[in-house]
Amino acid sequence: MTSITPASPKTVLQLDLLSRRRAGRQAVQDLSLALRSGEVMGLLGVNGAGKSTTLSMIAGALRPDSGGIRLNGEDFLEHPELARTLIGWLPERAPVWAELTVNEHLDAHGRLRGLNGSALRAARSAIIERLELQPLARRLAGVLSQGQRQRLGLACALLHRPALLVLDEPANALDPVQVAGLRALIREQAAAGTAVILSTHLLAEVTAVCDRVAILHEGTLRHDGPVHADDHATLEKTFFEIAMNGSHQPARAA
Amino acid sequence: MSLLAVTRLEWRRLLVRPLAWVLAALTLGWLGWNFTLLLGSFLAGQIQRAALPDGPGFTDLVAVPLLGQLAQLAFLVVPLLSMSVIAGERRNGTLPLLFAAGVPASRIVLGKYLAVLGWLLLWLALTLTMPLVLAHATHLDWGKLTSATVGLVLMLAALAAIGVACSSFASHPAIAAAGALIATLALWEVNLGAQMAGMNGGAINWLAMSTHLQPLLRGLVSSADIVWFVLLIVLALALATRRLGADRERG
Repeated sequence: MTSITPASPKTVLQLDLLSRRRAGRQAVQDLSLALRSGEVMGLLGVNGAGKSTTLSMIAGALRPDSGGIRLNGEDFLEHPELARTLIGWLPERAPVWAELTVNEHLDAHGRLRGLNGSALRAARSAIIERLELQPLARRLAGVLSQGQRQRLGLACALLHRPALLVLDEPANALDPVQVAGLRALIREQAAAGTAVILSTHLLAEVTAVCDRVAILHEGTLRHDGPVHADDHATLEKTFFEIAMNGSHQPARAA
Repeated sequence: MSLLAVTRLEWRRLLVRPLAWVLAALTLGWLGWNFTLLLGSFLAGQIQRAALPDGPGFTDLVAVPLLGQLAQLAFLVVPLLSMSVIAGERRNGTLPLLFAAGVPASRIVLGKYLAVLGWLLLWLALTLTMPLVLAHATHLDWGKLTSATVGLVLMLAALAAIGVACSSFASHPAIAAAGALIATLALWEVNLGAQMAGMNGGAINWLAMSTHLQPLLRGLVSSADIVWFVLLIVLALALATRRLGADRERG
């Protein structure tokens, strides 16, 4: 895999030959890709392809063994504190502090991200209203359903208006109405200039909201290209070729 | 700023969990009952002691023994209170949320430590109010009481640091509590054999926590004892930070 060119001003995220071993095997190997502001990238792959490991490294929760991550042109590994303001992360299964209410969760996340006082209250009110969390605001996170937790996790990720939104299986446990709402929210964030990277198992999710798709297989990047709403069949073919054979043959021009 | 955010988060989690309230209610009830017994005993012997020119007073017979009982309770209370601070987060999968907020491991450890220490100092303050409400009616030896309080603060701070360190190494809160209890008891009784053999000096006695707490409870403040506690706190917090840093590396 070749090294990518230096970051342009609009590049929010740049991965350069990122590698990481996990549980005794190479989870991610020499992964390079870049993401611009306002772009939505779908990360596809079968279970164990390295999607969650990649997103954890991008979010700053896990350090890579080698390679580099640049956020807005700055070295993220040298300055992990960049995550505080620049990144919003929704981990898989949206872990919560069970003993805190939804409001308290948002306050805690806001303070960890540097929000305080009236700025925190305003951000909290705005995100509660946007994600329709009012009926849950005083409820303990420990008693929320998985879908409600997912929405709370999404609210925490969006609270501080990050430049990069990292979503690990965001549609998990959401009902069809909520999935439609999630798609609208992602497009809305992208329109506002936020770069979004999301992992999913659902190809329809990718064709519905993503501008680009990257397919991982056994920790390596096997495909990175644009995606269009009417491309579902092509995407499905590419995905299954990679999942079955480890590579795919791009269609030749007539 | 992130340190304060972690402390507030942990403090809030401590306050909404029943465990902290149950521990506070049970221990303060126990200490209140013992305070009443100590006070009764003190009042009963007041006439005999009046004949002694330098006999023990209210501070020696009530206030300091009460703090001694708090020290004994702390052996159990601190491991229970600190067991989930990191091990619980690890078990619930919430630790990566703190890493992903760009908070360094040292601030996570320190923030959580300060929250636990805050609760313990409040516990100590509530216990101290018992002898202090009688300050106007009796003669308090303020110097001795201050020294004993400093000793208790240092001991609680050291036990909290050990508790946080054990929590950082354990995958389950119960293991962290057991580890902290064993570490604390070992540190307290490491010189038991030497004492039984009649040895009162040497490295083994220096290692024991009791060697450094007893003088403070008797009113003797020594910088060497204070340094011992500070070293223990720094060592425990450094180990916890190192372990948490490794968590981030290992994933």
